[in-house]
Amino acid sequence: MSKPKVIIIGAGFTGVATAHDLALRGFDVVVVERGEIASGTSGRTHGVLHSGGRYAVSDQESAVECIDENMILRKIVPQVIEPNGGLFIAIDESDLAYAEEFIEGCNACHIPIQELTARQALEMEPNLNPKVLAAFTVPDGTFDPLRLALSFAASARKNGARFRTYTEMEQLIIDGQGNVTGVKVWDRTTDTHEEIYADLVVNATGAWVGEIASHAGAHVPIKPTPGVMVAFDQRLVQRVINRLNKPGDGDIVLPQRRMMVVGTTSFEVTDLDYVPVVEDQVKIMLERGEELVPGIRKTNVRGAYMATRPLIGGGSTGRSIARTFKCFDHKETDNIDGLVTITGGKATTLRAMAEKTADVVCQKMGVQAVCTTKEVPLLSYRDYYLQNN
Amino acid sequence: MSTPKWVVTFQIYRKKGNADPHFDEFKLEVSPDEYVLDGIERVWAFHDRSLAFRHACHHSTCGACGMRVNGAEKLTCITLIRDVTQDGGVLRIEPMRNFPVVSDLAVDMGILYTRMEMVEHQPVNSDAKEAIQPEARPAGPVGEEEDYIRLSDCIECGLCISACPISGSSPEYLGPAVLAGAHQHGIKGNEQLLKLVDSEDGVWRCHSAFECTAVCPSFVEPGWRIMDLRKQVIGERFKRLFRGSSPKIIDTMEASK
Amino acid sequence: MTGVSKTSPLSRAAKWFDPRARTISTIGFILNRITALGLSFYLFLHLIMLGQLAQGPQAYDGFLATVHSPIFVFGEVLVIAAGFIHGLNGIRIALNSFGVGARYQKATFLVLLSIAVICSLIFAVRIFTV
Repeated sequence: MSKPKVIIIGAGFTGVATAHDLALRGFDVVVVERGEIASGTSGRTHGVLHSGGRYAVSDQESAVECIDENMILRKIVPQVIEPNGGLFIAIDESDLAYAEEFIEGCNACHIPIQELTARQALEMEPNLNPKVLAAFTVPDGTFDPLRLALSFAASARKNGARFRTYTEMEQLIIDGQGNVTGVKVWDRTTDTHEEIYADLVVNATGAWVGEIASHAGAHVPIKPTPGVMVAFDQRLVQRVINRLNKPGDGDIVLPQRRMMVVGTTSFEVTDLDYVPVVEDQVKIMLERGEELVPGIRKTNVRGAYMATRPLIGGGSTGRSIARTFKCFDHKETDNIDGLVTITGGKATTLRAMAEKTADVVCQKMGVQAVCTTKEVPLLSYRDYYLQNN
Repeated sequence: MSTPKWVVTFQIYRKKGNADPHFDEFKLEVSPDEYVLDGIERVWAFHDRSLAFRHACHHSTCGACGMRVNGAEKLTCITLIRDVTQDGGVLRIEPMRNFPVVSDLAVDMGILYTRMEMVEHQPVNSDAKEAIQPEARPAGPVGEEEDYIRLSDCIECGLCISACPISGSSPEYLGPAVLAGAHQHGIKGNEQLLKLVDSEDGVWRCHSAFECTAVCPSFVEPGWRIMDLRKQVIGERFKRLFRGSSPKIIDTMEASK
Repeated sequence: MTGVSKTSPLSRAAKWFDPRARTISTIGFILNRITALGLSFYLFLHLIMLGQLAQGPQAYDGFLATVHSPIFVFGEVLVIAAGFIHGLNGIRIALNSFGVGARYQKATFLVLLSIAVICSLIFAVRIFTV
């Protein structure tokens, strides 16, 4: 008997992780991606391996997902992570007032924190704002976005998954009953079109899921929410520096290679394919970043860029939307079979999103297979390209 | 917007399948403070959806967007349009040389990644405090890095290999990034790596054009590292000469460890 | 390695001599290649000339007359200049390979090139005025 076949649309974090999970569970997987691996939102993530501290007060479901997945990723893909921890620092009275809720939240979400005096914090990170009032350590980290995605893709490939990059989905192929049976794609490297059929199609296109699902007449409540990030050409801190307060604009400074990245803002757009960098927002990043690490003033901007978060929105907007993820079986939501959508979530929770999606796929197709991605170490990201030769 | 807009013509190299390559022109209104990659992405978004190019992080950590801009190798995500052309000017965008072209501006990085693995280059360094402080590095202090684990400086973008005249004429030459990777890993006590570096396609193939160092966006200084590797290789050879030990004996010593 | 370059080795090597969009270091690289080719060519000519001398006194006189023509004297200056450039540049590369001054190779190149130019000029003046 041949393997059950699944097409995954999108080779961002969710797509590659789902490909890895399904390939391990014995599926025949084809991933179609219009660009390269991680050329949409995933590649442009700032790269914080979240401890969950940021969401410990307002969004505890996401916080728990973050801390659990943080620990798993450190274990299965250490080659792409700078696991140096992070700090939440209080600069003013309102930050200090937030401390109590923060401690409670972290305890509730089993996020290990340690309180530091201002002096201890400055000893650890001499370039912090000297006005720091209090600080907490958290197990944050930093990762390289492309290499994280490539590690999953390399492992998926080794287990038989096929990656069709520069191959854009043009249409979902729909049978007489309105169910999805495959995709019509355009290979942009050869300018040719073809049809690929499968038992199931997974829509893992992040902020673009709404657009893709609409091809089948299905609906996904997605709220694409871009944010700006600015990279600076010096590494003045060794840990991820968070503002001890409710999540807001420009309240994270993270080290990466020889740089620092400050993020981020939050607004809404309609055209997802190109989101321009707004100068005013870059200015906000500079100002807010300086409040955490004043030395930023003396560094140079190395790059400024936008990424569009896929938030699952009901009525609420922006910061108040939960950062958790959701898998939609369109048989249940729209009475369309053969299509599953996964979206929302954080880069940190990519593996969990894949597990959830693969569970739904297995259940829909009557396949008995357990998830092993928590334990299986990933291949080196280089293996993805090695296998080309 | 505070800065006045420029009109710039993007001349982009195009290649699909087995068809002959050609250049397409796109006239764009840009801000001089945008990056070259922003312009290329806009060409894809608004003018020609068939344009294939590699990009991911947009801030010089992933190394995907290396291209040739007016002939010079650039990491397009951090290259300001202001620095490479003027109002009414032209930007000729071509894929990197010395790599197989997949389509348009996208190249296959397989050769580089395979060789980086061959020389055991570590993607993360626990000992980030390097003995060298390159003169060319504007990136300033990295801080006291005793125990911090840091992603390596080399982002495997391939620009140095594209700029190297020898990589162009001898595809077997390991190439600047790869030799720099070997240097960073260290050849001391690593017989296999020493052999590779000292081989016909290793450090001796370099002919000192130093273009690798000139184009490196990450201040890895491959040129300097190749020269330093030569010194180390010469040192090893001298040691052998006076110790009178043949490589065979060393091999058995390694094996008995 | 598929598809890296389908062109012939010669046309690939021809790209060595294209200085567009390159730095001063490539000028050094190109000069070294040109002078090497030039000096090899000279050696070849030199051997032919020596062969001529073995054919008797008449041939020798004819030869002397030819080499005193301005074109040949100019050629001699080129040979000397090539010798200086290649030799001095070679010293730089050898030093770099022993780990000496690789970081300052650009400055070293400019200094040595200046010395080569000055020395060549001195020789040129002397040759043409003698």
